[in-house]
Amino acid sequence: MKAQMAALFGFDCLDFPGLLDGLPVGVAVLDGQGRVQFLNRALEALTGFAREDAQGLPCRHVLRSRACVQDCPWARGEGEGLGAETDLINRHRRRISVRLTPVRLRDADGREVCRLDVIEDLTPLKEMENRLSLAAGPGQMVGRSQAMEKIQRLLPVIAQSDSPVLITGETGTGKDLLAEALHKASPRSREPFVRFSCGPMPEELLEAELFGRRGQDNDEGRQGRFQQANNGTLSLSEIADLPVQQQARLVRYLDEHTILPLGADKPLRVNVRLIASTNADPEALIRQGRLREDLFHRLSAVRLHLPPLRERGEDVSFLLQHFLGLYAARFKKDIAGFSQKALRLLSGYAFPGNVRELKNIVEFAAMVCTSDQIQPAHLPAHLPGVHEAAAAPARKTSRGNKA
Amino acid sequence: MDRKILVALHKNEVAPRFDLATEALLVTVTDQGEVLESKTLLLAHASGDDLCDLALNKDAGAVVCGAIEEEYYHYLRWKRVDVLDSVVGPVDAVLERLRRGELRAGDVLFPREA
Repeated sequence: MKAQMAALFGFDCLDFPGLLDGLPVGVAVLDGQGRVQFLNRALEALTGFAREDAQGLPCRHVLRSRACVQDCPWARGEGEGLGAETDLINRHRRRISVRLTPVRLRDADGREVCRLDVIEDLTPLKEMENRLSLAAGPGQMVGRSQAMEKIQRLLPVIAQSDSPVLITGETGTGKDLLAEALHKASPRSREPFVRFSCGPMPEELLEAELFGRRGQDNDEGRQGRFQQANNGTLSLSEIADLPVQQQARLVRYLDEHTILPLGADKPLRVNVRLIASTNADPEALIRQGRLREDLFHRLSAVRLHLPPLRERGEDVSFLLQHFLGLYAARFKKDIAGFSQKALRLLSGYAFPGNVRELKNIVEFAAMVCTSDQIQPAHLPAHLPGVHEAAAAPARKTSRGNKA
Repeated sequence: MDRKILVALHKNEVAPRFDLATEALLVTVTDQGEVLESKTLLLAHASGDDLCDLALNKDAGAVVCGAIEEEYYHYLRWKRVDVLDSVVGPVDAVLERLRRGELRAGDVLFPREA
């Protein structure tokens, strides 16, 4: 190989194996038949094979990657130089995510000298991806209280059916999150999940937003949320804000699975699972005439109630720690937990904004925290008792100084 | 006592990856090294779970394969199935070693061509 390299690079003092050993990525040198001629140090460490043991073996038995077995890049011919993400299982029986890039080394006349398989370990990137998706994504339903455990137990069962769902709960309890979790766990998970807030807006606009508008002449028309969510799930938040007339059209959809776009004269068949939510008591809304009773009875085929945080007992400390882990990772800070004082202060707070408020408080605290523990001084100033708790050590010190 | 051994296959050699094998050879070897029965089994799709099930359903006492992930390895060992992993070579050479009772984990049975 050294002679071949010397011919390739035009000087004979090149220490090619030494050069490969110095690289931070794994490299396997292969012959024309795909047999291993050399493994550099990085690849020895990654695969667990010593270069002497690997020499002469077909590369698929040394790299043991998914790409080698299912879609050998050398057998494909094309795509040379293009990396592919795959995984390998090393001699320590550990699965490792890697990028495999095939490279063909040619001499000046275009003749193949050898082939290289370049292997990058993607483990740190994958770990970071997981961490960031947890911190930045829509999140997941978490909780240790009885009420939340019950919902988590029911969720996969409810997700399997196509029945409409009514989610109730105060603001910030996670109604949107639960709707999304139901969609993700359902057979419709690969289809669209469309969220629509029935907030106040002109009735005609609302109708077009929900049911779409038929095109006229050169106008192509417009898809409504129902058409966008076809075969998937449509989540309607604050259903009681929907005018009663539109509520009647929802009743019609739930009965016939058809909608009538604005300006259209023929109904359109759509297949959408409806999840509605409200932060008010639905029975009270019916009494006030804000929610049609027939819609309520159709929607509440499955009814889920998310309790406010103040009724979720042990969830407060669990969620504090849970969100602290997420935000400490996002802000790249080494914060182990909350001080006793901060924890006492937070445990005594009612969290009227529920989980959303708790999450925002932890995000703020993690952002401003400069030590390894969240102190009262790191908590938002609007929390009752924060000023007193934050000032307490200072008073103690000043008294100490005086003494 | 007769012993059943399941060899994960990829074409005519030991499968480089247990979880990606879609074929397996089930051989019954006597104490005297005689191969009583040899049967090729096909899987609908590559799956480590299915291959573990197959080995257990067929009462295999040992599994021969290339790379195997730790969880499958420990599961099979827990079910008292010997796992001879990191075996590299053509199936004929593997059968010959099995017949002689000389196959070990990590054996390389390809002729070395440097």
